Amino acid sequence: MRPLRHAREDAPVRSSFLAAGALALALQPTDDAAPAPAPIQPTAPAADVSVPLAGPAFDDDAALPTHADDVVDYTLRATLDPAAHTIHGEGTITWRNTSTAMVRELWLHLYLNAFKNERSAYLRERVGGRGSTAPEDWGWIDVRKLVVRAPDTVPVDEWPRAELKRPGDDDETDARVPMPREIAPGETLQLDVTFDDKLPAVVERTGYRGSFHMVGQWFPKIARLEPDGRWAHFPFHHLAEFYADYGTYDVTLDVPAGFTIGATGPTVERTVAGGRAIERHIQGDVHDFAWTAWDRWQTFHETIGGVDVSLLYPRGFIRVAARDMASIRFALPYFSARYGRYPYRVLTVVHPQNDVEEAGGMEYPTLITSGGPWLTPPGILDPEITAVHELGHQWFYGLVGTNELAWPFLDEGLNQAAEVDAMGRWRGAGSAVDLLGLRISDANLQADEANGRAHDEPVAQSADSFSTGDNYGALVYARTATLIETLRRVYGDDAVGRALGRYARRFRFQHPGPVELLAIFEEVLGAHVAETMRATLFHEGWVDFVAEQAVTREAKTEGGVFDVDGKREDVRSVTKREGGFDSAVIVRRRGTLVLPVDVAMTMADGTTRVEHWDGEGDSKRFAWHGAVALRSVVVDPECRVLLDQNVENNRAATEDGGGGAWKTLERATYWMQLALQAVAP
Amino acid sequence: MSEATATDDLGLLTTDAMRARRHPRALLGLWAWETALAALVGLPLASLARDAFGADPRGDGALWSPGGRELLSFATRELHGLNAIAIAAVAVLLAGAVAGLVPMAATMTAIAYATRDRKAAGVIRCVGEGLRQFPAMVLLLVIASISQGILVAVGLAAGSIVEAWMHSGMGEARAQQIEGLLLLVFVAAVGAIGVAHDLARAAVVRFKVSGGRGLMLGARTFRLAPVALSWSWAWRSLASLAPIVAAAWAAERLGGRGGIALGALLILHQAVVLARVGLRTSWLARALRAVDTSLRRVA
Repeated sequence: MRPLRHAREDAPVRSSFLAAGALALALQPTDDAAPAPAPIQPTAPAADVSVPLAGPAFDDDAALPTHADDVVDYTLRATLDPAAHTIHGEGTITWRNTSTAMVRELWLHLYLNAFKNERSAYLRERVGGRGSTAPEDWGWIDVRKLVVRAPDTVPVDEWPRAELKRPGDDDETDARVPMPREIAPGETLQLDVTFDDKLPAVVERTGYRGSFHMVGQWFPKIARLEPDGRWAHFPFHHLAEFYADYGTYDVTLDVPAGFTIGATGPTVERTVAGGRAIERHIQGDVHDFAWTAWDRWQTFHETIGGVDVSLLYPRGFIRVAARDMASIRFALPYFSARYGRYPYRVLTVVHPQNDVEEAGGMEYPTLITSGGPWLTPPGILDPEITAVHELGHQWFYGLVGTNELAWPFLDEGLNQAAEVDAMGRWRGAGSAVDLLGLRISDANLQADEANGRAHDEPVAQSADSFSTGDNYGALVYARTATLIETLRRVYGDDAVGRALGRYARRFRFQHPGPVELLAIFEEVLGAHVAETMRATLFHEGWVDFVAEQAVTREAKTEGGVFDVDGKREDVRSVTKREGGFDSAVIVRRRGTLVLPVDVAMTMADGTTRVEHWDGEGDSKRFAWHGAVALRSVVVDPECRVLLDQNVENNRAATEDGGGGAWKTLERATYWMQLALQAVAP
Repeated sequence: MSEATATDDLGLLTTDAMRARRHPRALLGLWAWETALAALVGLPLASLARDAFGADPRGDGALWSPGGRELLSFATRELHGLNAIAIAAVAVLLAGAVAGLVPMAATMTAIAYATRDRKAAGVIRCVGEGLRQFPAMVLLLVIASISQGILVAVGLAAGSIVEAWMHSGMGEARAQQIEGLLLLVFVAAVGAIGVAHDLARAAVVRFKVSGGRGLMLGARTFRLAPVALSWSWAWRSLASLAPIVAAAWAAERLGGRGGIALGALLILHQAVVLARVGLRTSWLARALRAVDTSLRRVA
C-alpha cells in the first residue's frame, strides 16, 4: 500500500487513531461471528492505522491521491457468443505481493459459479432479499489454464493443482491455487489465464435474457491480500458483495457487430470487422470490471462536470432514463464536492428493462445500473433514488475500497446516508414520494424501516451473519443512513459533512474499516459522537424520547394546616393575587443512546417555549411560572433524532391541550366517499 | 312527451320532466347516505389518529406534515388497527354497493314520478319503491358484475398474451403500451356494460318490471343509440374526475393546517362529492328518459 506523505503531523489526531486502534481490538468479531472458511481481515491493523494521519488537510481535494497503488492488473480479451450466452476469455493477470509476508498460494474468486448449482454458498444461503430464487438457467465459469510466470521459475499451468472446493463443501466460488514457490514481499507474478463463462439467466446483477447480456463477476479475480499476509478471500455469499485490490483493467470485448457495449472505463479502440465489433476499454485505479452488450440499447451522451456520461436504455424508456440523467446531473457534482472529485473520465449508466430488474440497481467502477419501469409516475422517485444511490457507490465502494463482506455498512450504509442526504438536498421533503400532496422523504423512509428492527441484531457485522435479507436491508442500509442523518440534523450538516468528506478523501484508494471511520468522526465531532456511532452500529444502540407528562394549573397559595406561634391555622389554598399559572413537563429518554434534543412547549395563547435537553440522565423536568397556561409539549419537534424509536409518544397534552384528529376525519371520510362513489350504484 | 303511467298513488312524469336538477333533496339524500357510510370508516380512523397524535398542538395535522415522518410511524405502529379499519372499509364498500341500490332506486323514483297532484313523491314513498325494486336491482348487479368481471379477466389474459408475444420483438415498453391499448378496448366494453346496466335499472324503475325484463329493455334501449348513450355517460364520468383533481390541487396548497384551512377543505371536498352525486344522478335521469323514449319509438 502506498503511504500518504502529504498529511500534516498532528499529535492529537495521531492519539485519536491510536485510541481507535485499541478500539479495533474491542470491535474484533468473535469466532462465532466470523465464517469459518474465510479468514476475514475486518479492519486494517492498528499499526497501519497509526501511520497516516487525517485532519483538515483532507477537507478539500488538494491532498487527494492521484492514483491508487497498482496491485493487480488485468489484460483480458472476452468474446461473447450471444446465442449460447457464453464468453471465452483469455489474457494475463499481473499481481504484486504488497504484504509483508511470503505468499505460498493465491486465492481466486470464481463468482460466476455461485449460479452453477444449488450447492453453491450463494444458493444455499437464501434468506430473502434479491436473488432469492434460483436462476432459470444455470451459469458458471470454467478456468482452462492458469500459467504462473515468476522470475527464476519455469512457467507451469498450476490450474490442475488448484483446489476448487473445501472438504464437505461443494461451493466452487473461492479457489486456492498453490504456487510453485514462495512469493516474496514486493515480488510480481504474471498469470496467463484462459477461461470460459456460461452466463446464467439474469440473477443477482448478472446474466442474460434473450440478446441482453449484463456481465459482472465474470473473470477469475484474485482476492485481496491484506498487509499482514492474510488473504481476504471468501465465497460468493447471498447477502455479500465484493472486495479486491486496485489496479488497471485493459479489457478487449468482442461482440457481434450489431451490439452496443457499455463497460467500465473509456473506449480507447473500436473496430468493426467480420461481423464483429471489438472495443478496448482501459481503466486504472479501479477494483472491478463489468460490461453489458445488447443489440437493442439506445444511447445518450452528456458531459457533466468534465465527465463523459453515457446512458444506455431500452426503446420506450427515454422518459425514465432521462430521470436517471437528471439525477446524475445533480448528484455527480454534489458528491464530488462532498466526498472528493470524481477521478475518472467516464461514467456509464445502464437502465435495464423491468424484466431483467435483477441486473439493475448495481454499482461497478465507472458503470452503474439503474432501474424502474418505463411508466414510473413522476411523483414516485424510485428511479432518481436508485441512480443517486448507485452513483454514490463510486465513492463508498469504488474510491473507498472497504471489505463488503466483513463490513457491509461501510459501503451500503454510508452510501445510503450519502443518498439520503443528496436526495433531501435535491428534492426536499418529497425526496421519495411527491404525489398529490403526499410528500415522503427518503430519510423518513429509512428511519421507519430501520427503527422497526433496531433490536434484532447489530448493524456492524459481516454480511453473511445477518439472519434475514430484510434485516440486512433494514440495518446495513437504513439504520446506518438513519444514524448519519440523525447526527447531521443534531450536530449540523457542516460538521457531519466534513467528517464523511474527510473519511472519503483520506481513505481514497485505501481499504479502511470501522475503526478508521469512527476515528475520523471522533476527530471532527468528538468522542461522544463516536461513542454514539459505536453503540448504534455494534451494540444495537437505541433511543426513545417520551413526553411523559404535561401539567398546568392556576398559581395558588399554599394551603393546609400550619402551626404558627403555637396556634394551629387551617389555611385554604386560593388563587394568587398576581395570577398566572404553574406549569411543568417531564420528558424521558429510554434506551442506550444519549442525544441532545429540543423540547417545545405550546401555551394557551399559541406561543411556544423551546428548551434544550442534552439528553443526559433518564429524564428531565421543566417547571416554570408564567402568565399563560401550558397546553402541550413535543419532544424533538423538528424530527432531528430519526433514531427515535417511537414518535407517537413524543407528545403530551394538558387536560385542555391537544389538537384532536379533525383532519384525519375530514380526509378519511372524503376518500371513503370517493371510494363509495366508485363502487356504489 | 310520453304519457303518464299510473302506478299506485304515483304518476309517471313526462319524459322531459325527468331531470335530476329538479330534485335537490334527492341529491342531498344520496350525499347524506354516502357521507354516513364513509363516516363508519372515517370515525375509527380519526380515533386511532387522535390516540397517536391528538396531544400534538397541531393535533393530527402532524400526520400530514411534509416528509411523512409521523405518517410513516403511524402506518407502522398502528398497523393492526389500520388493518382492522381496512377490512371494515371493504365491508362498508360491499355494503354500500348492495344496500346503495335502495337509495339509488329511490332517487330514480323521485326523478321519474310525482304524486297525482304534481308534488314530489316524498322520501317514504320513494324509499318504499326502492325497497320493492331491490331484488330486481340485485339481480341486475350480479349479472352486470359477473359480465364485467369476465370481460376484465379476458382482457387481462389477452393483454398478457399479446405482451408476451411482442415483448422480445418490440421491447418491454412498446409491448406493454400495446397491452394497455388492448386493455382500453376491454375497459370500453366494461363501460358499455355499465351503461346498459344503468339503462336496465332505469327500465326497472320506469316500467316496474322484473330484473330480467329490465335487462332486455335496457339492452334494447342501448342498441337503439349506443354512441349517444355511451357519450352521455362518458362525458359525465370524465367531468366527475375534474373536481377531484381540482380538490387535490387545492388540498396540496392548503397542506396539513387546521382551523380555517381545514374548514375550507371540508367545504371543498363535500362540494366535490355533491357535484359527483349530481353528475351521477343526472346520468340516471338521462337513462330514465332514454328508456322512456325507446318505449315510445318501439311502440
